[in-house]
Amino acid sequence: MLDIILSPQLFFAAAVLGSLYALIGLGLNLVYGTMRLLNIAHGDIVMLGAFSAFWWFTLTGFSPLLALPLIAALGALIGLGLYILLFRRQLAQGLDPVAIEARSLLLFFGVSVVIQNVTALLFTATPRAYRHLDEVFRIGDLAMTGNRIAALACSVVLLTAMLVFLKKTLFGVEVRALIQHREAARIVGINVEKVQIVAISMGFGVTAIAGALLSMTELTTPFMGFRFTIASFVVIILGGLGNIKGGIMAGFLLGLLEIYAVTIFSAEARSILIYGCFVLAIVLRPQGLLGIGKKV
Amino acid sequence: MIRRQLFGIALGTALATLAMPVWAEDPVKIGYTMARTGLFAEAAPSQENAYALWQEQVNAAGGLDVNGVKRMIEFVSYDDESDPAKSAQLYERLITSDKVDLLLAPWGTPHHLNVAGVAERYGFPIVGNTAASVAIREVQPGNIWFPTSAIPDKIGPELAAMLAEAGVGSVSIIANVLPFSQENLAFLTAALKAANIEIKMSENYPPDISDMTPLITQMKSAGADAVLALTYPADAFLYMGQARELGLKADLQFMLIGPTIDAFNKAFGPAADGVVTLAHWSPAQSDWPRAKPFFDAYVAKFNQEPDYLDSALAYMSAEILTQAVAKAGLNKDALRQAIASGSFDTINGEVRFEGVQNSVTPTAFVQRQGDVTELVWPKSIATAPLQ
Amino acid sequence: MKTATVIIAISAAASALYFLGLWAGPYWQIVVLNLAMWIALTQSWSLFSGLTGYISLGHAVAYGLGAYVMASLFREWPIWLIIPAGGVVAGLFALIVALPVLRVRGPYFVILTFGLAELVKFVLLAVDTALGQSSRLLFGAPNTQTLLLWMLALAVAATLLRHQIGLSRFGRGLIAIREDETAAETIGVPITRYKVAAFALSTVIPGMVGAIMALRSTYFEVLQVFSPTISFTIVTMVIIGGSGDARGPVMGALFLVALAEILRGLSPKFYLIFLGLSLVLFVIFSPNGLTGLLERKPR
Repeated sequence: MLDIILSPQLFFAAAVLGSLYALIGLGLNLVYGTMRLLNIAHGDIVMLGAFSAFWWFTLTGFSPLLALPLIAALGALIGLGLYILLFRRQLAQGLDPVAIEARSLLLFFGVSVVIQNVTALLFTATPRAYRHLDEVFRIGDLAMTGNRIAALACSVVLLTAMLVFLKKTLFGVEVRALIQHREAARIVGINVEKVQIVAISMGFGVTAIAGALLSMTELTTPFMGFRFTIASFVVIILGGLGNIKGGIMAGFLLGLLEIYAVTIFSAEARSILIYGCFVLAIVLRPQGLLGIGKKV
Repeated sequence: MIRRQLFGIALGTALATLAMPVWAEDPVKIGYTMARTGLFAEAAPSQENAYALWQEQVNAAGGLDVNGVKRMIEFVSYDDESDPAKSAQLYERLITSDKVDLLLAPWGTPHHLNVAGVAERYGFPIVGNTAASVAIREVQPGNIWFPTSAIPDKIGPELAAMLAEAGVGSVSIIANVLPFSQENLAFLTAALKAANIEIKMSENYPPDISDMTPLITQMKSAGADAVLALTYPADAFLYMGQARELGLKADLQFMLIGPTIDAFNKAFGPAADGVVTLAHWSPAQSDWPRAKPFFDAYVAKFNQEPDYLDSALAYMSAEILTQAVAKAGLNKDALRQAIASGSFDTINGEVRFEGVQNSVTPTAFVQRQGDVTELVWPKSIATAPLQ
Repeated sequence: MKTATVIIAISAAASALYFLGLWAGPYWQIVVLNLAMWIALTQSWSLFSGLTGYISLGHAVAYGLGAYVMASLFREWPIWLIIPAGGVVAGLFALIVALPVLRVRGPYFVILTFGLAELVKFVLLAVDTALGQSSRLLFGAPNTQTLLLWMLALAVAATLLRHQIGLSRFGRGLIAIREDETAAETIGVPITRYKVAAFALSTVIPGMVGAIMALRSTYFEVLQVFSPTISFTIVTMVIIGGSGDARGPVMGALFLVALAEILRGLSPKFYLIFLGLSLVLFVIFSPNGLTGLLERKPR
């Protein structure tokens, strides 16, 4: 048993899963943290990323990894479009966060229904998949499929880049200021509008990339998104809402939980363990497991 | 590709309009609901595609033969949002307010069971297709029929028999907790015990599992002769990819639902070679002259292979309806009589009903061998030996 | 308005709906049944979430538990007894989890209730698997007309309950909690007792609704009745209608059910797309809900 738990194979699986959860969570966290928008269409952006990668590969034959910047741009454009069409005016009204949360929940519910059904109408609901980078590399006992290595590598690079960007640049400071205190940020002269636009574009962009990476290993369908919406909310709640670093850690934690809980207990108990741990974590730490005790 | 399809459809419509005689009869209205959104949305297209192909073919040939009169087919369909109760409600609407002439079946067991009640109430005959559960035996016979032979209490014993014949002495099983897998697990476990095949491992997993590395590692160390994965489509995909990564080796690999989906072969190609799965139809069976033309027409229209289970069953149900209507017309009583007592020539060979069930087609398994999906069990309809 | 007037008005409206359903035929009977179901669910939800401001995204649990009770006891107990049993089970479950869950606030509470609903769903899925009961058949349920009558009774009960509580001392206490929980405590509102009571009370009728709705389908599967869509739809309807009083949920439910039927009739193919678009347009042009729209004073 112990040798199984310590095997690098399980750790690899947990890392792949965790990095993708972290990436999707990061996208949601940027949008929620800066604007208090409860984006329940988040998983649908994952889906659009996956579909874009599928069509890119099917039509051009080139690796979807080459199209990642393009897919990110597409995600960003959707985020920007939604911001301008739906949220700019709402946010400018200076409503209290509870009202914004309620309205954005409803708006994104509508957006989610539209995105899913337009996709289903255009491409049908038939499950899609393609073969790419599927050779298996073996190092000792460890076996890794090429596309899973690629997914892990891309997400880790992207996560690191985003962290550095948010930590080191002036813009990053502004984003964090907005997350921590909206009104104060405005008073000290931060261009709130600009920060919001960049945050939603970046958030949607990385989410679309995560979808593209997932499409190499999972079935792509117009209705695949909901699973990821749930997962990303679990991640950002565990990490503490708006806490970028906490969210990333929570993503990896969820990956570890998913793999090791199943190994130690049983596969049948998987979902019970995941939701059980999640519920327990919030009840014990109402500000998020990794939250810093910030008043919400 | 989409543009080409659209162009094809436009051209087809244009030609159909030109070819239509001036004294054309009213079209035959045929209703159904489909799980276009919700829980089952991914599974439903393979069925609806078969309906669309059937409609196109029949209309191109001048229309549906109703007692000797050719009439065009017009579909009236709704999205049932994967909600069986809504499906039943919409079938009421199709019958009472849209006043359709005929009905086709919705997708899946729960929907069939609900719609069966509506069929019963209005005395409206429906040929079912994609329902596969022992529960269908509980349905009152008379207005609904099930051409499938993929029913768990038959699958279990047949699978055990096939394994025994292949010299398999031990198996490892993993099963989704959803109904179809669990029904199969129960009958399969009993049949394996009866056949003296050792079960080295048997584990369940929930439908939203996102990684199977631990399960497959466990299967690998169990080292059984055969691995049986009682999957649904999404987890079939996960299983196959990760079993491949971990190099899970066994003399025989069986998966319940998944490998008959076109995307499965697109994603795994040669890696899916040798996987055995549930289906009772194959275009490779030359005793069924209609099988290959159906396959070719489907591939030409949709640019993908039909689902060997769902698409085939859906098309069969439409063929049965076509032949019954040609004989009995649209009168419900005559039609019911024709379906219940007739013998039908389908892409899956002859079909006859006893009670609600198809009494001819045997429960069977297929195996991917190179680019073809061959029937490997039972011997009576096999197109190639098990590899 | 006097309580008696309200009771008469609501009962008259319900009777009218019942006869409308009977007159319009089986399809519309089910539409009215669904409408009554949503009114019963949204009123109950609003009783807790509307008054306290704790947005629950987990009310599918109450519905699912009720349905599960019905499916399990269908052949064992008389139906008239199983329906209240469904309500009791849902209420008891809410009571048990209330204390720890209600310590959590804001968006954390929203997602916590959602996670709790998923947890219960998977626990029951595992229980059914262990029992070898992956699906159940419910043949011989009462006809639609009977179900419609029961459901309308529940809708009336939920509406009256919501109305009366809104006017009571209890209701004013709950509103005080929504405005400022700490302040409410200082002026002597027993906040914990009130919150727990409202939370549990808000799940009883949904449990009974679930029990009745299980009878609508001959095939029972855990995954179907614990669908998160139920929770989302409840919240959507109340936000659309407004949660200030008992009118809001009725209007929200009526609006969404009517819209869905109209769009389905107009275009079965694009119906969900139009529904989503309508929702978006609605929020943009009428951010304060239907009640807000009615109360907007002409300038």
